[in-house]
Amino acid sequence: MSGPRALRQPMGLRAVSAGFLGVWCLLASFPFVWIAAMSFKAPVDSFAPNPLHVLFGPATLAAGKGLSLLDLAAGAAVLWIAVRLAVRWLPGVVARGTPPGWIAVGWFVGSLLFGLAFVAVFFGLLPLVLGGLDPVVGPLGVPVLGLTAEHYESVWVGNEFYRNFVNSLIVTAGVVAVSLTVGTLAGYGLARSGSRLAFWLLIVALVFRALPHSVLVAGDLPPFIHSAEVLRPLLGEAAPTLYGKPWAVIAVLVSINQPFTIWMLRSFFQNIPLDLDEAARVDGCTHFQAFRWVIMPVMWPGVITTGLFSFLLAYNDYLVTSLLLDAQNQTMVPAIAGYFNRETTTTDQVEAVAAAVSITAPLFLLVMVFQRQIVSGLTAGAVKG
Amino acid sequence: MKFRTFAAFVGPSLFLMFVFIAAPLVSVFWQSFHVTKARFETVEVETCTPGFLKPTCVTEMVTRPVLDEHGQPRLETRFTGFGSYRNVLEPDRTLAALRDLDWRALLTIDFWKALRFTLTFTLITLPLVIGGGLVIAVVVNNVARSLRGPVIFVSLLPFIITPVIGALSIRWLFIGDGIMTAFLEWWLERDIAMFAQGGTIELLMLFYRVWHVAPFAFVVFYAGLQTVNQDTLESAIIDGASRWERLRYVVIPHLMPLIVFVALIHLMDAYRVFEEVVGFSSQAHVISLQWLTYDLLTPDDSGNRAISRASASAMLTMVGIVILLVPLLLRTWRDQRPGGPGGAGGGR
Amino acid sequence: MNLKKFAIAAVASLFATGAWAGCSFENSVPLKSLTAGFAAWKAVTSAMAECGNVESELDQEFRTKQPAAFAAQPALYHIGGVSNGTHVPLLNEGTTRPLDDLVAKYGGHLSPNQLIRVDGRTMAVAMMVNAQHLMYREDILNDLGIAVPATYEEVLAAAEAIKQAGAVDYPLGGTYKTGWNLAEEFVNMYLGHGGEFFAAGNQPAIDNEKGVASLEMMKRLTAYMDPEYLVSDSTYVQQQFQQGKVALANLWATRAGAMDDAAESQVVGKVKMASAPSIEAGGRPASTLWWDGIVIAKNITDEEADAAFRVAMEGIDREMVEANNAAAVWLIDGFQPGAMAAGAAATAANGAVPYPASSQMGIMHSALGNGIADFLTGAKDAATALADIEAEYLTAAKEKGLVQ
Repeated sequence: MSGPRALRQPMGLRAVSAGFLGVWCLLASFPFVWIAAMSFKAPVDSFAPNPLHVLFGPATLAAGKGLSLLDLAAGAAVLWIAVRLAVRWLPGVVARGTPPGWIAVGWFVGSLLFGLAFVAVFFGLLPLVLGGLDPVVGPLGVPVLGLTAEHYESVWVGNEFYRNFVNSLIVTAGVVAVSLTVGTLAGYGLARSGSRLAFWLLIVALVFRALPHSVLVAGDLPPFIHSAEVLRPLLGEAAPTLYGKPWAVIAVLVSINQPFTIWMLRSFFQNIPLDLDEAARVDGCTHFQAFRWVIMPVMWPGVITTGLFSFLLAYNDYLVTSLLLDAQNQTMVPAIAGYFNRETTTTDQVEAVAAAVSITAPLFLLVMVFQRQIVSGLTAGAVKG
Repeated sequence: MKFRTFAAFVGPSLFLMFVFIAAPLVSVFWQSFHVTKARFETVEVETCTPGFLKPTCVTEMVTRPVLDEHGQPRLETRFTGFGSYRNVLEPDRTLAALRDLDWRALLTIDFWKALRFTLTFTLITLPLVIGGGLVIAVVVNNVARSLRGPVIFVSLLPFIITPVIGALSIRWLFIGDGIMTAFLEWWLERDIAMFAQGGTIELLMLFYRVWHVAPFAFVVFYAGLQTVNQDTLESAIIDGASRWERLRYVVIPHLMPLIVFVALIHLMDAYRVFEEVVGFSSQAHVISLQWLTYDLLTPDDSGNRAISRASASAMLTMVGIVILLVPLLLRTWRDQRPGGPGGAGGGR
Repeated sequence: MNLKKFAIAAVASLFATGAWAGCSFENSVPLKSLTAGFAAWKAVTSAMAECGNVESELDQEFRTKQPAAFAAQPALYHIGGVSNGTHVPLLNEGTTRPLDDLVAKYGGHLSPNQLIRVDGRTMAVAMMVNAQHLMYREDILNDLGIAVPATYEEVLAAAEAIKQAGAVDYPLGGTYKTGWNLAEEFVNMYLGHGGEFFAAGNQPAIDNEKGVASLEMMKRLTAYMDPEYLVSDSTYVQQQFQQGKVALANLWATRAGAMDDAAESQVVGKVKMASAPSIEAGGRPASTLWWDGIVIAKNITDEEADAAFRVAMEGIDREMVEANNAAAVWLIDGFQPGAMAAGAAATAANGAVPYPASSQMGIMHSALGNGIADFLTGAKDAATALADIEAEYLTAAKEKGLVQ
């Protein structure tokens, strides 16, 4: 650090600050490390009272499922390379590989492909190669650590968790797309209108954000189930039953998230100079053309940041999706909660832990890739009281 | 901008909010003043259910709803005024408890029990989240640039995790002989059961919420720290301001709008506390207002649910949150009012 | 996991979805079912799926959805899974159809014991029974020379002896989680004391010496339990058993199989089953009998109902039971009651009554679930707790219209 002398800090302060940071990082990551360790063990080890058993899995090892030192080293190496690639290489490829204006789709496809490739290499190719190598390398190839991926196997293959994954993708992508489309329009309108009405709309939206969700959802359930009867006089036989339809849930989630979205996007639009619109209007653009061709192109940091918050809301939602979707369209979070109902076994619970780790992985990837955009987006001035 | 253009831009968003937020809200408001009852009749019915080898048949008096000619139960909806509110607030018992200054008796009434917890939860986590977020932001801003990426990544993890799963993972660490409980027992050399009494469960719930939300405060404040005016900082140094004074008089005032923003969001979210009650199964000791509403709304095995009382409890929850938000809303009002300092065209 | 296993599993699942191997006919009517999600339902619904065109929803929220979904026009589901309690709202609202003609047509293999009859009409077909009964560690009781407890006083004496000997962490396990579980324990105990829940006109009647005695007994038992008993549900107690932390518990029959599951349990072969204890020697066991079964929606066409019933019968046939004998105490022909079913059988033989499901009992159960914890934590005494539960019941029952 080459700041001015007075900005340099005494050793004591730096030690305290580093110590605090260390404790915080441990606190932030420990639960994740722990549930990840649990998910790879036989049920007896996962819920063992002795923490060392959870970490090293003696019962799992005794059942003949273990990893050797070589396996560990190879796994760590692949993991490290994957992280480096996600942070350094992927953004460039996506930026170069997608036509302008399609950057969001590019990111979506890129992240998905990257995630799939990682799963294929880590769970498919690596065990295959190591399975051949282990017997050859002597002591390095002797299993030392109990570890099994059988719970992941039964979750993804046996319980067909990939269906829930696809449903989650549909709902999440839908919510992000609709939320941003509707939200940018409204945010722009609110930012550029100085009227009293706009101000009151914002205050009402703020109050809406404070409402308890269970009330809204419980209000929605009966009309959703009976919608076909209610709408039949209007729409005839085409009247849909809203209950269980992903697009209906998307609409609900978008609405719940709308207050936050429009407040956030409005702040972004306010930071874009008014001159830009006026120049476009002088050139003969309508308001909408100015919005689409002049303002939107400079809005991407704000849109990405807001989109991430929408993504988190939709991906993590439990209350709305568990009540309004049927089994065929169930997303991942309620599916996991289903492992914890009145009648479960310990194996079910470990499978739930494995499923929980699985659904956290895409979030990890997301943060890894978008971390800079979050910070720079917020820095660009999205949030002001 | 002309009104029609404005309406075209805002229309879709307003439509969604109207259909899925305002309409349920109006129906909740209406239901809180009405009660819908079925008409019941008591008849003698013989019911046979499986025994172990042969069926058990009993003839008993059964109360069941009267069905109309379409096979639907006959329902009667009546206006009850504040009846449902009275059932939620239980004014007689409340007044009796207040007269005797009997705090414990007051807290055996569900609504006050829930309100007590919701308020303490909100007001205790608020300073912890803001303080914690601020400290992490300052500390992260202090480390070498090469380390910042990984540190920010780790710090964001508790925020992005699915709340249901986050609460469960913390629960697994502490329940029974979970690893953290075992560690505490070893450290304090005594037997500990975190889930055996209300106090420790409440502590865990507070800890979980701060752990979950502090990263959000952190990332907002960290972004804010990047825009602190370096000239002001340097002139403060020349004036001989200490590290603490610089933080107190330069950095924090700069972050003030962000602190208000985080406080606003956090107050709203914390007042709706719900996942923690379910995740930590704390119903025996502490309940929250949204949990109370949810519990009244969830049908029991026989399909009964107390919609009117749930609506009344929901309306009371809303009134509470609006009162709590008034100071911050007023501030936002001043800043955002057309022509105010933060209005259109205004900036930092 | 390796690729080969993965490939085999993938191919196997392809075959499983494409065929109707285990079904006697090929179903061509699209059908949907909504049931709870425990192991027995998994077995039944996958047997139904073999007939083709069946979408099964196994859902822990089914309680919330079922009454409304069956009342819709047309009903959103054709087949529903119910138990004593969840059958009540469907019966009350008349949204399921009488099954007598369908039973006559396709249900030749059903035993009379399986038919749930209301006023002479068959409204549901039961497939299994369930009850809470005593599970005990035979090795510990033998070591200490204790006979299998038959009354709760004997349970307390045994718990004291086990505690003195220090054989396990906590002598007793209990499904005392606040809410449904805790209320169910009270219902068991109160019925064991010979109590009645209601007086004439659906007035509550639990605030009496039997109610107080039930609460006091529950409190005495908790002294021997894990101090976290107010969060322990049946899965938690089952785990405590499997990890050798408890020696006695009144646990659900569906949990018995897990004790001998070598993948989870460290006490394989050591846990034995007995009748639920009674209050007085030779008295009625403090437990209730539950059944689970199938209903068919009313608001569907007769053709759909016909197909739905046939598919449901394939789901609860002999082959399914033979493949899943340990998953439940089945009522279906072909079930081989093993040692694990002995507890449920003894409980029923000793005179345990069916759970007294009704609209008012649903309200009472909820009020009990929310109100008993205050007594166990010491916030209220027994009489106050019971009086408050009655007041809570009256508020809800008046709102519903059950009490004038």
